[in-house]
Amino acid sequence: MQPAPSTLTPSGTTAERGFKKAILRLVKGGPERLAIEAGQIDAIIDPTSGHAILLPDAQRALIERKVGFRSLIGLAFDWYWEQDECYCFVSHRGATDEALGFTEEGVIGKALWDLSIDNLSKTDWQTLRQQLEWRVIFRDLEVRCVDRAGELRYLSISGEPIFDDLDQFKGYRGITRDITGRKHSEAVVQESNRYARTILDGLGAAIAVLDEAGVVLSVNQAWRALAIAHSGIADVAFGSNYLAGCDNAGGDEHVDGMAIAAGVRQVIAGERALFRHDHASDSPAGRRWFALSISGTSGNDAARAVVSCEDITERKRGELLLELERTVLRCLADADTATVALKSVIRAVCESQGWNCGRYFSLDPSAGVLRFDESWGIPVAAVEQFLDKSRGLVFRPGAGLAGRVCQLGQPLWVLDGTRDARVSSTALAPETGDEGAFVFPVTSEDIIIGVLAFSNPIIREPDDRTLQVVRSIGGRLGRFLQRQEAVDSLRRSESRFRALTDLTSDWYWEQNRDCRFTQIADGNPFGGAGLLGMTHWDLPGVVLADATWAEHRSNLAARWSFHDFEFATVQADGQCSYYSICGEPVYDEAGIFSGYRGTGLDITRRKCAEIALRESEGAEVNPDDPAFAAAVRVARRALAERIAHLVRTEHRPVNNGDGQPDLNGQASAISGELLRALEFDRATDLRIAEAIELIGRTK
Amino acid sequence: MARKKAKRVTPDAATTVVVMVLYITESGPNSVRAIANIEAICQEHLKDNFRLEIVDVLEYPRRALADGVVVTPSLAKVSPLPAATVVGNLSDTGEVLRALGIRG
Repeated sequence: MQPAPSTLTPSGTTAERGFKKAILRLVKGGPERLAIEAGQIDAIIDPTSGHAILLPDAQRALIERKVGFRSLIGLAFDWYWEQDECYCFVSHRGATDEALGFTEEGVIGKALWDLSIDNLSKTDWQTLRQQLEWRVIFRDLEVRCVDRAGELRYLSISGEPIFDDLDQFKGYRGITRDITGRKHSEAVVQESNRYARTILDGLGAAIAVLDEAGVVLSVNQAWRALAIAHSGIADVAFGSNYLAGCDNAGGDEHVDGMAIAAGVRQVIAGERALFRHDHASDSPAGRRWFALSISGTSGNDAARAVVSCEDITERKRGELLLELERTVLRCLADADTATVALKSVIRAVCESQGWNCGRYFSLDPSAGVLRFDESWGIPVAAVEQFLDKSRGLVFRPGAGLAGRVCQLGQPLWVLDGTRDARVSSTALAPETGDEGAFVFPVTSEDIIIGVLAFSNPIIREPDDRTLQVVRSIGGRLGRFLQRQEAVDSLRRSESRFRALTDLTSDWYWEQNRDCRFTQIADGNPFGGAGLLGMTHWDLPGVVLADATWAEHRSNLAARWSFHDFEFATVQADGQCSYYSICGEPVYDEAGIFSGYRGTGLDITRRKCAEIALRESEGAEVNPDDPAFAAAVRVARRALAERIAHLVRTEHRPVNNGDGQPDLNGQASAISGELLRALEFDRATDLRIAEAIELIGRTK
Repeated sequence: MARKKAKRVTPDAATTVVVMVLYITESGPNSVRAIANIEAICQEHLKDNFRLEIVDVLEYPRRALADGVVVTPSLAKVSPLPAATVVGNLSDTGEVLRALGIRG
């Protein structure tokens, strides 16, 4: 504390003269005296006391200045104070002392920590005292107290140390400002900010605010969680440069990063109000998808763009699963064999889920084991080797993951095969790095017919939707395989039937409801495509009695089956050819007659032999005649063929007119032929010779 | 008023720098005038070749006594020697220049 100047106030002429005399006594030098006389001196320093004695003009000026200073103090701050070496207040002046309660009388002689301040801890005070001991300037020490009205008041105190001219510490002086209003405003703003922050943190979408350079100014809770959980573009924390993160995105995110950076720059530059972009990002938990929305902001603050990042993985996975179901349906619709269907379905699942390979094990019902059937994998050597090794694999139900799935009938998955005892070494592909597996049953009408097993390094825990889709795929594939098996079986049956038909007849034919040919197999003796549209009686050179045709047509009109209906045609060389046809009516699924189908047989040789035989009855023959022996061989062969034909074809029911098979008729026909054959065997050489002669005469 | 430091100039090796101390009483009319006068004289005659320290005796009375100053305003020329003192409001420019050794 500096000594206050003495304030000698002259009063009246006598006093002035006395003051002057006293002053002049202090001043010994001539120039000083002359200056005093000239009125050019403001103060004289008393050599005894060391105090400066102000002359009247200087004294008035000082008083005016103090008044002005106080006025300024009132304008600039609320209180001005001084403390002694012990930090006790020696003065405390201000405009609103009473309202606060810190009147000068109330604080004089007290230190700051002796006052009723309630927001500073013991440690805070110790820190402040340490600063005071170090004689440092302290600024804006905020304290809280309760005023006389019982209201909370906030004060900001600043102080600086005082030293005398010998640099001795004399105390502190400083100012105090009432910042209650400001604190209340700050509290309102903080509350508003807290409210806004609460809302922002409550949003499901991750939000980040960018400045002009792309630096992240603030983020919400969802963004922080996103940055922790993911790497790449999503991993840009508060204070980082989002644009730099996008520019430097590597791997699969490189293209997305470039696109996003370009969009953000356009938004910041004001060239567009909104930019949207969906992108995928790989994380340790698997691939995830994000929908980015970047919108521009206006105003005087630093914010230039708001990035909203929404995790749309669940929606995207749902879309992919839906697309997978459609793809599987398409694959099954386009496939004409089980092999093609299996390969395309396995491939569709792998490509949709990002898995490396898949294998199908079909259940062999007779052996009760699962056998490797089909597979598909990405074109990587390790995967191809793994699939090659799988050929010939057999699992018993309950053995390995595939066996367990077959036994339980439920999908099973392994996120990490190395730690799962259920997984056999053949279930996974460790040499390919695939330590995850997903296996589900292939069913038809709730019966397991096989198992699909997929391998990949990472298998995500399937959700309900995924399980629903794989069950659906397993069911559709199973039904397709069963249907395909039935079709193949039918095809094989048809193939066998055709082979038999080819053996028992010479050609096969089909007719429409008007009994006109719609199909007649190659090898028929009548011609080619020109036969289509003809009836049997339209065939070229047909020779048959009208009554016989009329009877046949009547049978056709009655939709009867016919058997061994014989007719002849005259060839261009005048020779006759004999044919036998069998037919049966055909009905569609609605039971409506749609035509006839049947077979035809060339019986010319047999008919000729029969004719020769009949004509030979009564003729003279020589048994030693070679011609006779040849005729016998021909006749016997013809009869043998006829008998064989009867035996082969008699399994076909012959309608007796009442819709019942005519078994008696068949038996009669067969027995008649046989009797004739036996009769032939018992016949004398004479009769056969007569036949031969008759043939010779005929020729 | 704290110890008042006046202009500090960059010393020119080729030019003598005049070092002065002006003792004043803060807000005293003659002191205010003396400050204005010495600044005008320095600007006109010394350019940048001076260093002036202003000491408020109300704050540092012992400093004034130690320097032998008994009235304010007083201007003390410290260097170059010889030392000299001018008392009053420095309105007599000639006397000041003589004391500073600028005019004979």
